[in-house]
Amino acid sequence: MRRLMVFLTLLVGFALLSFAGDVIVIRYAHWNALPPDPYNYVKAFEEKYPNIKVEFIQIPEAEYSQKLRSMALAGNAPDVLCLWEADLADFARAGWIVPLDDYIRQSEKLSVDDFIPAVKQLMELQGHLYGLPWCFATEILYYNKDIFDKAGISYPNENWTWKDFEEAARKLTIVENGKVVQYGCDALGFQGLWYSLIGTFGDKIVDEQGRFVFGKGAKEFLRWWYNLTNRYKVVASPQITTSGVVSADLFMAGKAAMAFNGSWMTSVYKDIKDFNWDIAPIPKGVRHYSTLHTGFFAINAKSKVKDAAWKFIEFCMSEKGQELINKAYNNPSARISILKKGYYRVEGPKGPRNWEAVEKTAEFAEWGYTLLPPGLTFDLVKDFNAAILGQISVDEVVERAIEKAKDILGEERVVVTK
Amino acid sequence: MQRAKNKVAYLFISPWIIGFVLFTGGPIIAVFLLSFCKWDMISTPKWVGFSNYVKMFQSGSEFWTVLEFTLLYTLLSVLISVSWALLLALLVNQKVKGTRFFGFLYFVPAVVPIIALTFAFQLIFNKELGIVNYLLALIGVKNPPNWLMDPSYVRWLLAVLNIYTFYTGQMMLIFDSALKEVPKELYEAAEIDGAGVFTRFLRITLPAISPILLFNLVTATVNSLSMSFALIYPLTGGGPGKLTQAISLDIYYNAFKTFRLGYASAEAVILFIITAIVSLLMFILSKEWVYYEV
Repeated sequence: MRRLMVFLTLLVGFALLSFAGDVIVIRYAHWNALPPDPYNYVKAFEEKYPNIKVEFIQIPEAEYSQKLRSMALAGNAPDVLCLWEADLADFARAGWIVPLDDYIRQSEKLSVDDFIPAVKQLMELQGHLYGLPWCFATEILYYNKDIFDKAGISYPNENWTWKDFEEAARKLTIVENGKVVQYGCDALGFQGLWYSLIGTFGDKIVDEQGRFVFGKGAKEFLRWWYNLTNRYKVVASPQITTSGVVSADLFMAGKAAMAFNGSWMTSVYKDIKDFNWDIAPIPKGVRHYSTLHTGFFAINAKSKVKDAAWKFIEFCMSEKGQELINKAYNNPSARISILKKGYYRVEGPKGPRNWEAVEKTAEFAEWGYTLLPPGLTFDLVKDFNAAILGQISVDEVVERAIEKAKDILGEERVVVTK
Repeated sequence: MQRAKNKVAYLFISPWIIGFVLFTGGPIIAVFLLSFCKWDMISTPKWVGFSNYVKMFQSGSEFWTVLEFTLLYTLLSVLISVSWALLLALLVNQKVKGTRFFGFLYFVPAVVPIIALTFAFQLIFNKELGIVNYLLALIGVKNPPNWLMDPSYVRWLLAVLNIYTFYTGQMMLIFDSALKEVPKELYEAAEIDGAGVFTRFLRITLPAISPILLFNLVTATVNSLSMSFALIYPLTGGGPGKLTQAISLDIYYNAFKTFRLGYASAEAVILFIITAIVSLLMFILSKEWVYYEV
């Protein structure tokens, strides 16, 4: 009997060992911590595929890009990476990630046609599909409905032009004893906004060949914004931002009728209790334009478990995975069929209600400046602020920006509009 | 026997030597070599000779603005933070009740995380919602400044805010212990001779703590030159324009935001040279005013 027990124990042990041997481990890196239950998409994946275990690596946002590059250089990059827009092109150029074209072609769940137009545009630019956007965010206009109602001005909508914006901003600005107590619009805080607004003035920002296209639109926009800030005083003066986060938000404080910001701010502004507010697309200039933000799921070219890595990406991009991700981070899905289901929508008691604004923006928004090195774009924004503060002339700022871009990107990747 | 003893000694110090070679010496050599290369962390480094240095020092280069701010900031912040730390140490050395409590209060900002401090400063000095401008409005100032975006104020403000960093608190503690070591009889004798407070400070206190003053000056200078990043990056990000872009911040942007590792390495080499020269000068000049025996 004892022998039988020993034999059975050994048998079970070997069975467990052989089972454990079948478990595939994939390493996955992201800058965000994993969301708690019930939105933990990694846990949901592991439950669906018990033979694949995900080893999650969180890398702080401030050092995300350089850390992944260092890991890739050392041949130690994770199997699945969530790469920022500018990094995706560099990683593809270096051969550190594999094209996903064949994977998506063979997938029964995913189709390139189901993604927002910018995904296809990027695929055409890079020649292959190197990554799938884990969700996306864009830049939009926020407005205080109560202030608009009080002034008897109709709300911004998708047909608004910059002329409408300026007229409204002037009417909504209140001056008491020579001091502005309510601005028509808050200053631009998040750095991407400069490029989105310049884009509506005609500069392509990044063209079909991936070149930086800049000049005439930037000058026109900066001059106009300078006047709104200093001459008419309907836009607040620029404030210091840290990584795009302004410590004092005039819109949230109810002291600015309008503000431009990323769509992710809906999850912050939803806590507003003092006034009703809503969102609209950025007004139209010579064209509609806004910037898209995302991270792309990509597969490490040196990964030994590429199929398992693809399974993970496929799950994250499936309706179940997207639902969890959209709900956890309040960001919409880049898959049109899922976007319309609105899993990302988290409404506060006072707003927002016009979610169409995000979905409309997704139709015309582009990756734009996010495809360029962040150091360049951040540096230029500091000069834009200096121009609005009257410390450097607009012409000088734009010329300096072009020179800087040529220095960093190379002359062949810069197109000057005149 | 002696050889065996030496071997054991080397074995004991080997962890530090290996660590130094791998994590300090190696990177220093790598930075020096990279400063002659063009490298974006993707393609193989390409040897470009002195072109990074030429680009840095050519006329119209932004590096001149960066260098000017770094030197100005270092001078101001060292003077202000060392004087402040000494003043606080003198205050907590007075023979009055509650000096320990005040010492604790003075030290509190030094232990608050710098990110929290800078965020608070952004709020305090905000043009529209900040408390400073609110108070100025109460006394009738109609157009209060945009403190952190105005070139006339921002550099001074940064130097002053330096007094809230951990380093100033640490200097205060060092001064405090040095002041406690000054022989009391010197003060008693000077007092009998009719020396006033100011004379006693100049003729007794300063010479007695001069080695510690030198130590604090040198470390504060090195700290300001190379570690200013921690305060400036979250507070102004180097703006407006490049007005508050210290070299340490510029190195970070060039290395990890635009991936121009070669240029950033050249800047690091220049920063190293500046730090070495300034420190050396301070040690040479110290022979004139530092007294090691009181």
